[in-house]
Amino acid sequence: MKINGPLVTKVLTNFIRDEIRKAGFDRAIIGLSGGLDSTVCAYLAVQALEADKVIGLVMPYRDFDPEGVKDAEKIARTLKIRWQEIDITPQIDAYFSAFPTDSALLKGNKMARERMSILYDFSAREKAIILGTSNKTELLIGYGTIHGDMACGINPLGDLYKTQIRDLAKYLRIPEEILKKKPTAGLWPGQSDEQEIGLAYEELDGILYHLVDLRQTIQEVIQAGSEEQKVRRIIDLIKKSEFKRKLPPIAKISNRTIGHDFLYPYDWDK
Amino acid sequence: MKIAIAQTSSVLGNVRKNLNRHLELIRQASEQKADLIIFPELSLTGYSLKDLVPEVALNPVNSSLFQELLEASGNIDIVIGFAEEKASNPGIFYNSAAYLSGRKIVHIHRKVFLPTSGMFEERRFFAEGREFRSFKSRFGPAGLLICRDFLHYCSTYCLFAEGAQLLIDISAAPGRGVSDQKNEAFETSRMWELMGEAMSFFSSSAIIYCNRVGIEDGAVFAGGSFIYSPLGNLILKLPYLDEAFAIQEINLDEVRKARKIWPFKRDDRPEVIWHSLDRIIRKKDEN
Repeated sequence: MKINGPLVTKVLTNFIRDEIRKAGFDRAIIGLSGGLDSTVCAYLAVQALEADKVIGLVMPYRDFDPEGVKDAEKIARTLKIRWQEIDITPQIDAYFSAFPTDSALLKGNKMARERMSILYDFSAREKAIILGTSNKTELLIGYGTIHGDMACGINPLGDLYKTQIRDLAKYLRIPEEILKKKPTAGLWPGQSDEQEIGLAYEELDGILYHLVDLRQTIQEVIQAGSEEQKVRRIIDLIKKSEFKRKLPPIAKISNRTIGHDFLYPYDWDK
Repeated sequence: MKIAIAQTSSVLGNVRKNLNRHLELIRQASEQKADLIIFPELSLTGYSLKDLVPEVALNPVNSSLFQELLEASGNIDIVIGFAEEKASNPGIFYNSAAYLSGRKIVHIHRKVFLPTSGMFEERRFFAEGREFRSFKSRFGPAGLLICRDFLHYCSTYCLFAEGAQLLIDISAAPGRGVSDQKNEAFETSRMWELMGEAMSFFSSSAIIYCNRVGIEDGAVFAGGSFIYSPLGNLILKLPYLDEAFAIQEINLDEVRKARKIWPFKRDDRPEVIWHSLDRIIRKKDEN
């Protein structure tokens, strides 16, 4: 699972530069949470494009994550990128006063989609492509909000597991305090990814790597020392979240249908 | 002879733009007195074509775009990659490579081994070529392969058995695997280098591998083009991932030297291979 830092950095910075040119944008915009993934993404973007082409948006809800806001702003200052803080509290509160709920998950999803909505608005205003920050671990187990934090123009991090992003972060020399932070989706105060998923990222990534990258069977992964219950639960999460990784199916009734047999490349004539 | 390798990217589906870039590099290679310039697989069209294949396919016999390339081949030989539709076989498309020289098409190779698994889906959009055939270039007997053809060692063997001394593999190989800590290269680049080294030595032929770079729909083409001499020595290596253009002198007299020392060619027994294959194929049919 080890990654070659210089190679991965080169590939991902090439990717960011190339896709921005192809999409006809000049800049990149990132939602900064103060966490590891968005920080790594911002570092890559600055290496790829120069600081004045990168915009960071910090979008807190109330004082759910003051430390995240502080770190995000510090990263933006360190990288000398343009950044802005936009408080999403008024619109979130307005919505939930009309449709109250006790579910932290519903609230968190709504916040993630509000941030997405702002990012897309700024994307158009600034002619900046949205850099996604969902990593391979999250994408595989569906630990993200569909049309929320999973929405983006391009995703440089989607083929790197969380633990690989840590390795990349070390190579990129991101501040130690960001590396040491407990990963959180920030859906509610004090939330911890690992607590919620019920597995440490090291263990989770190890199992995913054997299942996905090495194409091992459940039996092989169990025989190699992973707990059966955990392996089965991870497979279940992968299965249940396939809808988050695909465009919705279209009922095929004609002879040529988008997604079925109307197949053009994304980078057509670019 | 001097060989130019154009380790380029392409604009996906825009033949006109790609052709202009070809003509520019051909001119450049010509000015630098190169005898042959080699472009990557599907260089005129880009690789991840999908449903674009019929829209960008050319019939080399009557295409005016192809004519421009032929005209450019007056004093430099050219190898390009393109999507082909023959007039005699309309609606059938091949992933092809053409060798042009003296304003004529000297040889066309149609890719035989079309990767169709994992990230690859070539057989969904292309028909398979049906043969490996060496041809006479003005430098000596030569053979063309396209990308995956080269990873099936029987392809190189066929060209070797027919006497090829100059083997050219044009490629659009995306890189996979980033765990190698020693090289700033995708793990899959090693496959090509391993094959290049082994095949050049055991066929006592010069091997030229021209791989493209650039990104299409997230797939990252690995570059790392190379030339191995008939004695199995690496004589040119282009960078991974980045566009590059290089001209390298190669000496085909080295084929004679190599075959004097290591008589693999003299001792080749194609008839034994043929009989063995014939038996294997019949046996397979019986099962």
